[in-house]
Amino acid sequence: MVVPEEGRGGLRASDADREQAIEVLKAAFVRDRLARAEFEARMGQALASRTYAELAAATDGIPGRLTADEPPGMPAHVRNQRTQREMSQGELAEALGVSRQTVISIESGRYLPSLPLAFAIARFFDMTVDKMFGPDEEKTGAR
Amino acid sequence: MMRFIRPRLRKPLLRGIALLGIAGAWVIGSHTWEPAIVIAVVAVGQTVYRYTWAGEDTDESALLGSRADERQKQVGLRARALSGSVAMAAAYIGLVIALAVKRADAWPFAALLAVTGFAYLLGLSSYGSGEPGPEDEVTAGRQARYPVNS
Repeated sequence: MVVPEEGRGGLRASDADREQAIEVLKAAFVRDRLARAEFEARMGQALASRTYAELAAATDGIPGRLTADEPPGMPAHVRNQRTQREMSQGELAEALGVSRQTVISIESGRYLPSLPLAFAIARFFDMTVDKMFGPDEEKTGAR
Repeated sequence: MMRFIRPRLRKPLLRGIALLGIAGAWVIGSHTWEPAIVIAVVAVGQTVYRYTWAGEDTDESALLGSRADERQKQVGLRARALSGSVAMAAAYIGLVIALAVKRADAWPFAALLAVTGFAYLLGLSSYGSGEPGPEDEVTAGRQARYPVNS
C-alpha cells in the first residue's frame, strides 16, 4: 500500500509513484486478492491519481510489500512435488533440461521461471500451471 | 567453424586466442620475444584451466562451457550489462580527467565512450525496444478511460 507520509498527502505524486502503485495492484490481482472489476477500477484510480492521498486510496488495504517479483508460494509447491516423488534436485534438473542451481533458485524463490519452463515443470509433475504456480489457496482463501 | 569445436572448449579457446593476439601485437610493436612468449604460455595455461573449470557444476562453469540454461544466461547477460556500464563510467571518468590534465590524451577515452554509447543504442534497436506498434482498439479505448492529467 502506498502510504502518504505525514503531511505528504496533498503533494503531487510522480509517475514512478503511480507505477509503484500499479505494480502493487498487478501483484494483488495475480494472486487473486483482487477481483477483475475491482482491479480495473483501482488501476483507473491509480492512473488518474494526482496526489499521494489519491494514490494511497487506490492501493488501500493491499500490503505494500506485495510486488510482481515476489513468487506466490511457488517454491513450496515445486519442492513439495519433488520430495513427494523422492527426487533429488539434480534429477529434476536433468529431467527439465536445466542446471541443479536453477532448480535450487526456483525452490528458494530467488528465480521465477520463464513461461516455457513453468509449463515444463507443471507438465512434469502432471499439474496445471495454475495449480503449480498460482496463489496458495490456504493463504488467500479458497474460492 | 565454431560448430566443429566442442562447446566446452569454445570460450576458453576464444580467450586463449585473444591473449595470443596481444602476444602477437607485442612482437610486432616492440620486436622483443620474451614478454610475448610469457603471454603465449599464459594463454595456453589459462585455456587449459578454463576448460577444466568449464566442467564443474557452477553457474560460472555453465556459462564458460556454453551450456547455460535460461537463468544462467540471464545471469550472464546481467553481468555483461554491468561490465558495459562500468566500462562506460570508466571511459567517462577517464575522459574528464584526461581533459583536465592533458587534452591530447583524451581521445582514447572519448572513442571508448562513443563506442559503448553506440553499442547501447545498437542494442536498443536490435532487440526491438521503442518500436511504435499500432494500437488496437481495446488499448486505445482503455487509455481513453484512464486519462492521466499531469
